[in-house]
Amino acid sequence: MLVKQRISSVGIHAVLIAYSVLALFPLALIVLNSFKTRKAIFRDPTGLPLGESFSAKGYDSVLSNSDFPLYFGNSLTVTVVSLVLILLLGAMASHALSEYRFPGDTFLGLYLVLGIMVPIRLGTVALLELIVSMGLANTLTALILVYTAQGLPIAIFIFTEFLRSVSKEIKDSARIDGLSEYRIFFEVVIPLVRPVIATVAVFSMIPIWNDLWFPLILSPGEESRTVTLGVQQFIGQYTVNWGAVLASLSVAILPVLVMYVIFSKQLIRGITAGAVKG
Amino acid sequence: MANTGSVSSEQTHRRPVRWYILVFLAPATLIYTIFAIYPIIESLRLSLYEAGDGGGVFVGLANYARLFGEPLWADQFWNAFKNNIVLFLMHMLIQNPIALALAALLSVPTLKGAATYRTIFFLPTLLSVVVVGFIWQLILSPLWGVSPAFMNWLGIGSFFKPWLGLESSALITVTLISIWQYVGIPLMLFYAALLNVPEETIEAARIDGLNGWWIFWKVKLPLILPTLGLVGILTYIGNFTASFDLIYTLQGGLAGPDYSTDVMGTFLFRTFFGFQAQLGDVYMGATVASALFFIILIGVGLYLFGVQRRLQRYDS
Amino acid sequence: MATLELKGIKKSFGSTDVIHDMNLDVNDGELIVFVGPSGCGKSTMLRMIAGLETLSAGQISIGGKRVDHLPPTDRGIAMVFQSYALYPHKDVRGNLGFALKHAKVPQKEIDERVNKASEILGLSDLMKRKPRELSGGQRQRVAIGRAIVREPDVFLFDEPLSNLDAALRVHMRVELLKLHQRLRNTMVYVTHDQVEAMTLADRIVVFREGRVEQVGTPLELYRQPMNTFVAGFIGSPAMNFLMARVEDGTVKLADTPVCKTSANNGSVKLGIRPEHLALSDDGPFDGKVSVFEHLGGESFLHLTLNDNQTMVAKLDGERSFAPGDQCRLGVRQEYCHVFDESENRVVE
Repeated sequence: MLVKQRISSVGIHAVLIAYSVLALFPLALIVLNSFKTRKAIFRDPTGLPLGESFSAKGYDSVLSNSDFPLYFGNSLTVTVVSLVLILLLGAMASHALSEYRFPGDTFLGLYLVLGIMVPIRLGTVALLELIVSMGLANTLTALILVYTAQGLPIAIFIFTEFLRSVSKEIKDSARIDGLSEYRIFFEVVIPLVRPVIATVAVFSMIPIWNDLWFPLILSPGEESRTVTLGVQQFIGQYTVNWGAVLASLSVAILPVLVMYVIFSKQLIRGITAGAVKG
Repeated sequence: MANTGSVSSEQTHRRPVRWYILVFLAPATLIYTIFAIYPIIESLRLSLYEAGDGGGVFVGLANYARLFGEPLWADQFWNAFKNNIVLFLMHMLIQNPIALALAALLSVPTLKGAATYRTIFFLPTLLSVVVVGFIWQLILSPLWGVSPAFMNWLGIGSFFKPWLGLESSALITVTLISIWQYVGIPLMLFYAALLNVPEETIEAARIDGLNGWWIFWKVKLPLILPTLGLVGILTYIGNFTASFDLIYTLQGGLAGPDYSTDVMGTFLFRTFFGFQAQLGDVYMGATVASALFFIILIGVGLYLFGVQRRLQRYDS
Repeated sequence: MATLELKGIKKSFGSTDVIHDMNLDVNDGELIVFVGPSGCGKSTMLRMIAGLETLSAGQISIGGKRVDHLPPTDRGIAMVFQSYALYPHKDVRGNLGFALKHAKVPQKEIDERVNKASEILGLSDLMKRKPRELSGGQRQRVAIGRAIVREPDVFLFDEPLSNLDAALRVHMRVELLKLHQRLRNTMVYVTHDQVEAMTLADRIVVFREGRVEQVGTPLELYRQPMNTFVAGFIGSPAMNFLMARVEDGTVKLADTPVCKTSANNGSVKLGIRPEHLALSDDGPFDGKVSVFEHLGGESFLHLTLNDNQTMVAKLDGERSFAPGDQCRLGVRQEYCHVFDESENRVVE
């Protein structure tokens, strides 16, 4: 029995490790080669960047000679501001939907999560006209507003499911303690939803940081270009400078990676508590 | 609750208007309505118009007649639609079973290092398609030689082909890359659902004499059926819209070679903006988007009224 | 210290009436218990007193002052919830002092009141802990402490012991009773547990489907339940009900006379508490033992009468029976409760 268990455990690890290699190998390839000289990249793609094959020239040219820092700043601004808006406005709406009964509450709840099923990209044609008529073409504001609208449905869905499972008594208790409805939201509800904030943040952040569609259509201008779009164009321009291309890819990976490592512990707990329950 | 003044002795106090509900709901509802719902509805409206002097001219369903009637349009539409269906089926048959299998292995209670595996499996999902596309372009490129070298090492070097460049294999290759990237999402959903299966139900099954494999098959799987349904519909929606990014990155706006990887997303993009010789057309763009809207609506409708309702009967 | 008056209170959610015309005067310092099965409206009534729920009609006064137009915090009440409702991100001291801090009470006074409450409840060593680091009983104490700190006119308790295990519940019940004896505040306590109601209450209000069935001291309810609902709800194990007939002032079971009554001839329900039945060779209840449960000091005897009606008797631990044994039980005249066809008590 014990031997059999050990064999099956070894088997499971073998499968999982094999898939880990498949998942990590392409990433490792990029990061490793971004630290190599052009010669070394071609001569020995799988070799480690040691000794004379090591070179940080790619990073140098990306960070100093291009608009890359600008794109990076744009992406960071768009992602962080959208994320804050999604989390704050989503939590506010979810709190209202789960806490108060008012005419049309069920309808409004359904309306606000409709966007999970109907992708906002389908409205691109009219959205571009709207953004242009508002004078927001080629601005970060346009992207922020669109990403907020895009991220709200899933955020509201997860927050509402979670808040419905939380005892209402704590809010009543706060009412008796004399808190206004606004302070109940900020001082009681926000601390309560902390466990699912990570889940919502990860699920909202990935499609924003990585999106190519809306930057390409709404703000392709030089000044408002995001990292994803920038890298895409950069690849087209400098296919010769491989070191730079690989370095730019590595730098583009970094922020999501950091965010994910911060949030990953809470991610599964949040999915379990919020999304799947519903 | 501002009104703290006295009330006449016999009257029952009425609740004051609860403005705070409006304050909580208005910002999200406004942004969502203006930048998500209105554009979709407006696109549906635009699909009934055609370019004319100084604005659109109402033409009824003429754009749809063009889209499905004129060979130039219909061929492109059905080609993209067919490719999307292939994409969808391959994700359902390859991505989701892999995700389920990995999630099942990860949820083995005695497994050590589950958190590390989970983090690794989700990594590709975090990456921009631009990054993913370029990585795989490099790996599969005959020039750089990573894959030919690797396949030589395995002794199957003669089978190497520039798969992304061949009409016969481009779509399948793109799909496999997409699966590599996105397997993490269904994996997470399955994993969370499996963790939610009550320990007591599994213990009861063990006492009934079921072994690990049968417990998964007969107990856990039926319990996570709603999640399977959810993953199915998310795959369906994602495949019609999100597939644009990867294909545009890997194969360009023309979704080459010879439109063999063209999907609704790239077709919509070309129609709306034009590409090379083809001129962009707002109204036909809106028509393609609206057709896509109805395709997704049918899928979601089938899911909500067919699949999900049936699945929920297994609940508790 | 204050009285509490409820006058003509009605509450409906949409077209469903959950409280129909409730009237009650609670005396200063009285501990009153609302009891009833779940969904009977007792919690809704409590929440209306607290100001968490609006009234559809009627008035609420505390200490003679109309309060139903005031927000909860201005009504002079404090409430203890079933789920304790502690703020998870604040430690015990933070939880206890939160309301006062919000009301801008000077820090020195907050500290005094918090320290006093924590002494009363034995929380002094736990002040730095977060709620998740406390046991169920400790959390409950913090929840009560938070109410004490506010020094309210009226304490409201919404099933505060339901989440505790049985042993702890008995213990906390005694502590609550001591607390009431010490503070002498007016308290309204909601529970579905009749034992809690009997042991805690100065007076009990029995709810059913949004109506008050009876108001009285625990003993009044036990001795003179006004209808079969109250009779069946108060007392454990529950009262036996037998279908019987009245003939010329005598309640008869089949043809055996049981007791005297002032009821008119016809069908009645005869109610007898298990603890009032005793073995008796010439008793009116003759039948076979179906189940015999021995608890050590006492025992329960389940009897199937000759006309197939069943009853339970609570006996001492001396005798023992086996299923199928023949057995005869009797009851004294003053322990017979007679209810007419509309389930109301026949007053003797």
